[in-house]
Amino acid sequence: MKGAQMRRVLMLSIAASLVVSGWGCGCGSARRGAPVAGPFDDSQPHIARGKKVFEENCSQCHPGGEAGLGPAINNKPLPGFLIKFQVRKGIGAMPSFPNEHISDSELDDLVSYLKALRRH
Amino acid sequence: MKKFLGALLALSLAGGLSGCYKMRSSAGGGQTEFNRPRIVNSNDIAVPDGYRIESIARELTFPTGIAFDGRGRAYVVEAGYSYGEVWTTPRLLRIEKDGTTSIVAEGGKNGPWTGVTFYKGNFYVAEGGELDGGRILKITPEGDISPLVDGLPSKGDHHTNGPAVGLDGMLYFGVGVATNSGVVGEDNFQFGWARRYPDFHDIPCRDVKLKGLNYETKDFLDPASKEKVGTGAFSPFGRKTGPGEVIKGAVPCNGAVMRVSLEGGPPELVAWGFRNPFGLAFSPEGKLFATDNSYDERGSRPVFGAGDLLWEVKEGQWYGWPDFHGETALDEHDHYKPARKEKPGLVFSEPPGRPPKPAAVFAVHSSSDGLDFSRNSGFGFKGEAFVAQFGDEAPTTGKVLAPVGFKVVRVNVKTGSVEEFAVNKGKTNGPASKLKKGGLERPIAARFNADGTALYIVDFGVLLHDEEGAHPSTATGVVWRITKKEPGR
Repeated sequence: MKGAQMRRVLMLSIAASLVVSGWGCGCGSARRGAPVAGPFDDSQPHIARGKKVFEENCSQCHPGGEAGLGPAINNKPLPGFLIKFQVRKGIGAMPSFPNEHISDSELDDLVSYLKALRRH
Repeated sequence: MKKFLGALLALSLAGGLSGCYKMRSSAGGGQTEFNRPRIVNSNDIAVPDGYRIESIARELTFPTGIAFDGRGRAYVVEAGYSYGEVWTTPRLLRIEKDGTTSIVAEGGKNGPWTGVTFYKGNFYVAEGGELDGGRILKITPEGDISPLVDGLPSKGDHHTNGPAVGLDGMLYFGVGVATNSGVVGEDNFQFGWARRYPDFHDIPCRDVKLKGLNYETKDFLDPASKEKVGTGAFSPFGRKTGPGEVIKGAVPCNGAVMRVSLEGGPPELVAWGFRNPFGLAFSPEGKLFATDNSYDERGSRPVFGAGDLLWEVKEGQWYGWPDFHGETALDEHDHYKPARKEKPGLVFSEPPGRPPKPAAVFAVHSSSDGLDFSRNSGFGFKGEAFVAQFGDEAPTTGKVLAPVGFKVVRVNVKTGSVEEFAVNKGKTNGPASKLKKGGLERPIAARFNADGTALYIVDFGVLLHDEEGAHPSTATGVVWRITKKEPGR
């Protein structure tokens, strides 16, 4: 790989890191609780299921999707595949959640819920 | 080179996704500065549409609980002790209509008074017992104090809590554990009690058999010594345990919900294996629920990422401490492994049982404390529990990336769903002192009045934390009241 190409990939990797971490994307407040943002619409079944998965597995470190023990996760434009990657691999301080803990269909619902929460 | 760049990309993504937890310093709610006076402004608090919040009493010193007499008048207890080893006088105060207070009774130097209830003409107070052991006190409206039970083992990290009277007419209370996770260590010397009572340790309610895990530390009783000492679970500092060793159980004990007759007498065990069952309340159906402050990342056996719990308390049940969090053993997967440390090993060779599923899980380090149930459909959310979250005590209890708690949440105990109910306004969460606003500081109790039309929130006041420990501020406590707005207003 040539120097220019290398630099481009390097810049890409740094930019990706900044975007997903929220340092460089101006993502705004993560506050989504009912008193601040109004009631959340979980009338769609897959959103309601995802909310339950979130409450049982994620909210203790990301309460309501906000930062707490871990970083905020409801104000960053993470694509679904990266959310799933993070949940399965548990990178950094976050523990991994294998299939027997969160099934593939539950993970799909969880991603749907997180995306809905981000828009709330 | 491609492999190198691929690895770099993966690492960058990983760093971003994990928020670089290890690189960032702790940013807890108490990690701030405070300058008197405390500003009190209910407009800085968000509640759901249709509700209003107002302050009804201010400048209280370490208030922890509230109760209502037969005439509907509100009474508050001041603890008389705060983490940070600050001692004041525990008091039972009546809140007058103009917001002033009148003294009903004063205790001695054995706080913290952690809660109060009113039943058939008398008050009942849980006396934490940091110096002389916990007690349950009966206090007449004239201020005469008599203990129903004393000598409870609560001279450690956590105290005697509650109380709540059941449909059976018995008084239920909690006793927290002495340590974080069963082993006396440096953190307990930082709290202050381990130097005061070097032989104090956790007492199981039933006989338990240990694996014999021991934890080496400096000899904090002899700072000049260069020799390390080993300490086992359920043992005094510096005493090792062996494989298969049985620790005798006894009642009263630590990490338990117990009950006592209103006439006094020996306490009876209801359930055990809690860590710090702080808030006790009966649901409208008569079921007993307890909030449980879960493990911290501190001491000889630190535990990472364990959220506070809400339990339905069932007679005879063991609830998992010190080897489980909810239904999950602390050595399962990597869920409870602190950064750069071993995951916690299990101290029991034979666990006393399997814990049930909690009714709800709260945020890690939220310190989910006092609770009550809505009984009035006019107020709304009938049958749901309202829980006061005192907020994190980082960095003492472990690192957090942002303030946790400092709000009131409501819980559907049938589904486990936890929703915010009263929280400070702003782009980020935190106590009023950190936000430089006039809202909630550290909610510690939530209690409905007798007809269920108003939810009262006891706000402990300012408690800062740094690497040295806790720094409370006297005369900064507040009582808030939340009511439903009248239609059209």
